[in-house]
Formats: sequence, structure tokens, C-alpha cells
Amino acid sequence: MSDRSQLIETGKPFTFDAQRDAEFERLVTRYPTRESLILPSLWLVQEQEGWISAEAMAYIADRIGTFATMVYEAATFYTMYNLQPKGKNHICVCRTLSCYLLGKQEIVDYLKQELGIKPGEVSADGQYSLEEVECLGHCGTAPVVQLNGEFYEDMNVAKLKELLATLK
Amino acid sequence: MADKVKLFVNGQEVEVEAGKNLIDAIGAIGIEIPHLCYHPALGADGNCRMCLVGIEDGRPPLVPACKTRVAEGMKVQLDAEKIKKIQRDIMELELINHPIDCPICDQAGECKLQDYYMRYDGKPSRMTVKPVLKAKHMDFGCGVVHDQERCVLCARCVRFTRMITKTGELGIVNRTDYARVNIFPGRPLNNRYALNVVDLCPVGAMTSRDFRFKQRAWFLTNSPSICHGCSKGCNIFIDHNREKYKDDVIYRFRPRLNEKVNGYFICDQGRMTYKLENDNRLTTPRVGDRDAGFDEAVESVRRAVSQAQKTVVLVSPNASLEQMFAVQQFATAINAPLSGYSDGYIKQGDGDDFLIRDDKSANRASFALLGIDATKAGFAAAVGGADLLLSFDNDLSRSLSEAELGQLLATVKLVMVTSSQTECVAKAAVAVPVASYSEDSGSIVNGEGRLQRYEVAVVKNQPACDLLRIVHLLGGEVTNNQEARVGLQAAVAVLKNIDLEQVPAEGIALTESEVAHVAA
Amino acid sequence: MQVQVLSTRFDIPDANKIEVAKQHGAYATLDKVFAMQPEEIIELVKASGLRGRGGAGFPTGLKWSFLPKNIDKPVYLAVNSDESEPATFKDRYILVRDPHMLIEGIIICCYAIKSHAAYIYIRGEYTTQVKVLQAAIDEAYAAGYLGDTVAGHDYKLDVTVHRGAGAYVCGEETALLESIEGRKGQPRSKPPFPAVEGLYGCPTIINNVQSIGSLPFILTNGADAYKAYGTEKSPGTHLFGISGLVKKPGMYELPLGLPILEVIEKVAGGLRDGRTLKGVIPGGSSTPVLTPEEAQTVTLDYESMAAHKTMFGSGGIVVLDDTVDMVKLVENLIYFYHHESCGQCTPCREGLGWMLKIVKKIIRGEGTTADIDLLTELCDNIEMKTVCVLSAACTMSTRSYLNKFRHEFEAYVTGGAPAQAAM
Repeated sequence: MSDRSQLIETGKPFTFDAQRDAEFERLVTRYPTRESLILPSLWLVQEQEGWISAEAMAYIADRIGTFATMVYEAATFYTMYNLQPKGKNHICVCRTLSCYLLGKQEIVDYLKQELGIKPGEVSADGQYSLEEVECLGHCGTAPVVQLNGEFYEDMNVAKLKELLATLK
Repeated sequence: MADKVKLFVNGQEVEVEAGKNLIDAIGAIGIEIPHLCYHPALGADGNCRMCLVGIEDGRPPLVPACKTRVAEGMKVQLDAEKIKKIQRDIMELELINHPIDCPICDQAGECKLQDYYMRYDGKPSRMTVKPVLKAKHMDFGCGVVHDQERCVLCARCVRFTRMITKTGELGIVNRTDYARVNIFPGRPLNNRYALNVVDLCPVGAMTSRDFRFKQRAWFLTNSPSICHGCSKGCNIFIDHNREKYKDDVIYRFRPRLNEKVNGYFICDQGRMTYKLENDNRLTTPRVGDRDAGFDEAVESVRRAVSQAQKTVVLVSPNASLEQMFAVQQFATAINAPLSGYSDGYIKQGDGDDFLIRDDKSANRASFALLGIDATKAGFAAAVGGADLLLSFDNDLSRSLSEAELGQLLATVKLVMVTSSQTECVAKAAVAVPVASYSEDSGSIVNGEGRLQRYEVAVVKNQPACDLLRIVHLLGGEVTNNQEARVGLQAAVAVLKNIDLEQVPAEGIALTESEVAHVAA
Repeated sequence: MQVQVLSTRFDIPDANKIEVAKQHGAYATLDKVFAMQPEEIIELVKASGLRGRGGAGFPTGLKWSFLPKNIDKPVYLAVNSDESEPATFKDRYILVRDPHMLIEGIIICCYAIKSHAAYIYIRGEYTTQVKVLQAAIDEAYAAGYLGDTVAGHDYKLDVTVHRGAGAYVCGEETALLESIEGRKGQPRSKPPFPAVEGLYGCPTIINNVQSIGSLPFILTNGADAYKAYGTEKSPGTHLFGISGLVKKPGMYELPLGLPILEVIEKVAGGLRDGRTLKGVIPGGSSTPVLTPEEAQTVTLDYESMAAHKTMFGSGGIVVLDDTVDMVKLVENLIYFYHHESCGQCTPCREGLGWMLKIVKKIIRGEGTTADIDLLTELCDNIEMKTVCVLSAACTMSTRSYLNKFRHEFEAYVTGGAPAQAAM
């Protein structure tokens, strides 16, 4: 966790594209209150843009008909919402318990060196971003890494090297 | 009368009101349960954990008092060592990341953390690691300054903007000890009650830019009074102090609880009317172009009245009931028509469904009680053929345009008996300073027909004469407030069965129909 | 030692597809279910002794019976698929390998509790899993198992998947409800309990994925068949997750009641070569650690765990060998709980941060004995003074390491352990 409250403003108003717009309206029918749409809407923004700006939060609030602070609270509380652009290849390394016991630090150190960034940062060319995350629920195949949401289990530095090679 | 329930506190049987939570019920019989996040107007949040009490044979045995209703036979443990230890431990955890800002923090002297530390903690700090650091003196808008480090995350301010003003400008972002109060970028506080969060905040996280660093709370005298900003009649505390070699000055208004009028809050505009009591006051009498002594000025007015062909007396809707009665008696005695014309004091459409009223005067309802005409037509008729207009604190420049006023004063000489330097004062032939309401006492009736009493709060080094006494000096019969009240109770039907000398703190509801009946 | 009660269809290729699942028995209970009275189903589930598999172990049938009778508000089911307790990795197998078992279980539960709307709360990180689950739900709608007339019966049921976004605290049932309602996952004070006032202020049952997934078996085979597995007070089977320093980590379905060390040896292949056992985390990171001596007499059921002053929890077993630095492990765990604290109440928000800083100080070599004592005392000061049990999850586990491995903390203080940089 860190202070996620310094939002980035793009300077341009935000709006859902046609697909997200339709999905939003569909989701409205699934819940008895519009406020329930806050988390799903934040996901829709992230699907569309890869990250969530201040303008996007204001858009969600106005579209749902709730306070901007409600959206602001949810966006900063839930750590999977990207409040800044991530790299084209977003790598999450699990750091908890079994992954820790089975060598996540080696993996993190290797990635820091290889990508030239620390956890929480995006590489200068925008290709990579790195994050240490909490237990991903794949402890039996630790250490585990997520690349753009896909799970890669039983990881080690060698396998990671191979994986990175496929991204080039 | 509310139902009662018998329960035990620290082994002693007590009787408390049914249906309340433990904090309110036990607090009402004089036993404090410490708490930060609970507030009667905002409900219980249960996040501070300061109000944890033991319930003997209870399931669970440890409960937050704010969320626990009283029950017959309940055995509440407050003084047990284990509860005392919990209070110390919670205080310790509140304080580990709390900046030691007391020397520069406005809240000192009225701070819950200070009070509870002294009462429930008293232990030295065991923090040997770096505390959490956050942002300080943030501008939240509407004159509210926020300090995230001092904040104990009780969420009272957030709940206030969500539940009371329903404007939702505040939120608590992040989680764990990164949590902090903030506004959404570009959407600062923007409602007419925002400064109430300064009062609600139990610590110095919310301070008022207007009051910041001006005065220490323990030097302030807290005098109960009534705001005169509009006809709502919100109950306030006038917090004032006379510093050495200086005068008694008001530093701020704070809301005073009156469940029948304003609850726990006041509006920001009303809160700021304290400045009208301090600033721009008429203090030196004036006759013609020159400053004069008080006696000379009063004598000048007396002469003007006796020499005038036709005098019109104008009374202010901010005058107290007693003052209006004295003025009315005086006007009758000198055969002068009396008007309360003050349409300009009403801002149509400005009121809301909470505490703000269109009518920006405090006692217009008393016109109806006393049968004082306040219509424009009545005023026009009154000033027809008049050569002297004697205004008791009624600022005509608010109700007449500059042209209209100019036209009027071309043929009518104006005498202003008033507390502040209004436009009218500059145009008056004679200006006599009078005590403002914060320096006086009296009864006023709010727009909902509630009669309330206010007492003298501020005592200036050179106190101005009060209005009722000036009327007497001019020849009126009523000499003081008590006499006025005797007269009022005799003359006004709806006041006959009320003891105006014993007005309870919450005021007296004069029924609407009675007030209207008298007016008709 | 492994059995197949929940995992019967796990190894069948494409069992997540409805045609394959149906071929192997999916949805076969429904006609029987709709012929029963809802109260009968509740009694059946009570009789089976099924206990909540999310970690609390509360009897499922009993929980359902707390719903008020004659309610004029809708009743909701929330399926807890947040699965964020470190060492727990079982529910996602159900989601991916046999989602129709879950959907069938949801139908059974909703009929029993008279609910027409279920929300499956799935942790945001389960990206591939949510896709498989949603596809299965879409198939179920298409085949008429969800929607206006479930399996042709006059019963409406809608199931909506609600994605979390990275908060372990949302596994707490009331935080989960807050999250569905659009707010931060900050747990609510109880009372009121969700069965009375839950989702949108309405009566709500929250059950773990595995608990719901167990229902088709019980409905098909009866309470006795379920009780044939496990022990008297802890009947049935569980999808145990064994991880850490063992040869064959993985998810294994076992009956409850087996000796923990035997399971570690025979099912998970035992320790790596040349290593000795140092400790066992029995049921997820929140459960107090067991020493090898204690583990000798522990069986995998609720009662044995309680008797050993730990918990069955989510059945996530982590094996610790002699290479493990217990102090750094504690740091890893406290970091997790501090990271996941919702921040609502004072003791957890401020206290866990303080605990983390103290253990880091100890690891840096700057700690004193007073710091170890303070860390221990804070566990007591924080525990049970909070709105929810996330803080207790941290303090109960941390306390067990401080009590049972105090010498390792003291070594840091006296300089015996290498004062390495903290993680």
C-alpha cells in the first residue's frame, strides 16, 4: 500500500466507448442500487484505458449519480485499480508466505536488475511495470507471477528469462 | 416522559432513559464514556474503539457503547481494570502517529485527545520508530483547513457532508494507515454549513481559517446567545475575550445545542456574523458634522423630536421584544406613527430546508405580536408630511434604493440610533451609538414562533448605552427590560400565561395560530 | 488418502462445459430439490454437519436457519470467492474445473433460503478464473438453469458475478457486502448480523464457494453419506492446500480427521531432502503455528486444532523447515496484514503498522528485548478490540511465533542472527 490519493488528470473529459457504455447499462439491471456499479465501472475504465484518471472517476460518479468522493474512495482503497499508466507488460510477483519461502525475492531482484525498475515503477520506454502483490491464491505452485493478468506458476529466474524473451 | 430502565454501572444501580445507546444514556446521568467517532447528530460509526465497555455476563463481553442499547439489568463495567487498560491501549494507538502539534494547534484546550490522555492514559510514549507522515494545512475550501496527520479518522466530517448537507465533498481514501481524509480534486467543500466540521472534529484536524492562531480556547469566555443572522434563531456560543490592555472582542461563534431549533449546527454565514459585532461599529456620537458627547447627542435628538412637526419612528426587526415594546410605547407617547418597514432585510429565495431563512432579521415575528405595521405602504403613509425620521437601528438603505432614500431625506431629517456604521448613518443628521445584541439582553421570537432569551455576553471597556435606556432618555416610560416584560405580559394576549422572566434554555413555542391571530 | 467428493469431475477434460458436466451428473439434483420444501433442505444440510469452509467453520445449515421467517424483503445469497488468505488455494479449482457444481449448489441454497438473487464475489486477481466462471453461468442461463424458470420450475434465480479489486479484507462477510454495494470493504459492526440485515439492508446468507459446492453431493447422496467422511464433529471432506517446503505441494481433497504429519509425508511427499521440520502452519497464515512436537498429535479437524490452540481455518497447510528464519517470516506476515487492513478502526490501522515497524527494527539489528515484549503486548492490546477479526488474524499468528520461537527474535536482539536487510 502507498498513498494513492494523488490522482492524475489527463486534462480531457472521459467517456465510455460504445462497448463499455453498453456493458454499463447491462450491469445497471443486475443490481438494485446504482452505487453498486462503482467497482464494476472502475474495471470498465481500466479495461478501456489501462488505468483510471481523475476525469474518469468524475465521469463514473456523474454517470452513476453519486459523489465523486465515493468513487475516489473505492479507487484508492482497492489496489488492483491502476491510478497511473502501467507498462505494456505489467508484471506482478506474489510476495507472501509460500512464494516468499520458495524464492520470490530472487525473482524480484532479477526483474529489478533486468528491467531497471523497482516495484511500483514503470520503465522509461513504457514497456514494463513491476509490482509486488500479496497472496495470489496459487501457493501450491509457488512462486507465482502474473503477467498482464495471466498466471505463471512454479516460476524461477530461468523460466522468467524465457518468459521475458517472448515479450521482446 | 420517556420510559426508564434500571441497569448497573460499576456495580451501582442507576436509572436511565430507555431506547438510548449507552454513551447517551449513561452520559445523561453524569458518567462519561469516552468516545471520538460517535456523535448524536451523526450516529454511531464504531471505528475509534474508545467507547468499549465491559458487559458482565454479556455476549459478547466487550461492546462499543455507541452501538449498544440500554437493557434492563445490564451490568456495565467502566472502572474495571481491564476496561481501563483498554482505554489506555486505544489512546496509545491513537497517539503513536499523532503529531505533537499542541503548541501550534488551535484545538489545544478543547481537544478530545488531550482530555482523554489526561483522564484515561497518562503514559509516556513507547514509539521508537518513525511515525506515519501525511499532508498538513490543506485548503479544503469554505475556510476549512485540514491536517491529515492530526486526523483520527473518526469520519465525523465525512458523515456530516454525506448525511447532513448531502453534498459529499469529503471522503477517506486509501486503506490501512495510509487512510486519510481528502476532497476530490477540483471539488472542494462547497456548501453553506461547511464550517460545522471544525466543531465536529474532536481534534485539530479541521480548523477554521478565520479563527486560526487568533486565540487560545482557554482564554475564551463562552457566553450563550442567539444568532441574529436570520429568523431561524440558531443557538450559539459567543466566544470572546478581553486581552490585557485591549477591549472585549468576539473571536468566533460556535453552535449551541437546541434540539428544538438548530440541533448541533449553524450555517457558515450566521457563524461569521460575529464580525458585525466587532467591526465597523458606531462608537462616537455625531451631531451634524462633528463628533459629540453622548449626552449632547441625546439632547439634540430630544430637541429635534420636540421641534418636529411630524416625527416618524422606525423600529428594526432585529430589536428585542422588550425594545420594541418600549419604542412602541414611546412612539405612542409622542404621537408618532410607528413602522417596522424592513423589506430589504428579506432575501427572497435564499432560505433552504435546513437552517437558513429568507428573512435575515431575528425578531420580525414580534411585529405581529405587538401589531407593528411593517408594510411599505404603511411606511409611505407614515413619512407623508413628516420632517423627522427617528430610526432605532433600522437600516433603511437596505430597503430603499439610493434614489428613494435620497428623495426621502431631502425633506425628512434622519436620526440614527444604531450600533453599526451603515450607509444610513453617513446620511443621518444625528447618529447615536447603541449597544449591539451581543452586549445586551432580551427576548426574540424566531420565524417558527419560538421565543428565546439571550443575555449579555460582551462587556466593552466603554459600554454603549442599550437601546431601551436611550428610548427612556428620550422620554419613553419603560426604564428597563423587567418593566418591559411586565408590560408585555399585560398587553399581549399570547404572552399572558408565559413567565418572560423564566424562559427555559430551549425557548418557548408560541403557537403559530396565536401569533398569526394577533397579527390579524 | 485422497478422495473424490467435491473433486469428482476435476480431472475430466472440459468439465467446465455444461454438456460434459451434465454427462457426469451436473444439475441432476434439481428435480428432487424442487420437490422438497425449503425447510427440508435446511434440515438436510444441518444433518450433514457441513461446516463453513471459508475458515470460520460455522455449521452451514444452522446459519441458514437464522434467517427471519415471513420477511417482506428479498433474501440474498453472496458466494464468497475472495480466497485471499495466504496458503489458501482451493476455491479456484471449483471455479475453473467444475463451475457447474457451484452453480448447482447455488440453486440448491437459494431455493432453501428463498432467495432469487445470488452474487458471486470473486477476487479481482482471478482473471482467468472469472472468465471460465462467467462462461459457465452464461451456459446455465442458456440451458434454462438460471433465469425466470429454473430447470423448468416456477422459480426465478439470477446470478451475478461481482469482481473484487485487490482487498483481502473483502473476504470478511460484511466487508464483502460493502464491496458489492459499491463502497470500500470496511467491515460492519455486528449486530445486526447479515442474516437479518445484510446486502442492501436485506436478509443475506454468505457462504464460501466450497461450502456451496458441497451441496450437490449432500443432496444426491444424503447426510449420512457426507458424514461417512471425516469425524463426528467435523464430517465431510475438504480441499486441502499443502504448500511451502514440501516435495509435492498442491491441492488435495481429503476427508477431515487425518493426522497432519502423515498427510504432509504421504500426500505431499514430505520435506525436501536433508531438511528437518521446524513448524507447520495448519490452516492458513492466520492460524497459530505448530511446533513439530505439537504437530505429532494434531489431526485435520476443527476439534483437534482447537485443542492445540490453533485453528482448522481454510485448511491451507504450510510446511516450514530448518531453513526458515521465523522472524523474517513474521515480518512477511505482518506486512501482509498491515497492507490489507481496511483502516477503519484505530487498533488495527495504527497497531499493525506499529508492529511492522517494530519487527523491521528487530531485523535491522536495532531491536531490544523491550521491543520483543512490546510486540507481544501489542498482540494482546489489539486483538478483539476491533470491528473485525483481521487484526486477530495478525495477532494470533504473530503471538504464536513469539511464544514458540522467541529465541529467534532474541538472537536478533543479541546479535546472534545475521542482521540482514529486511525485505
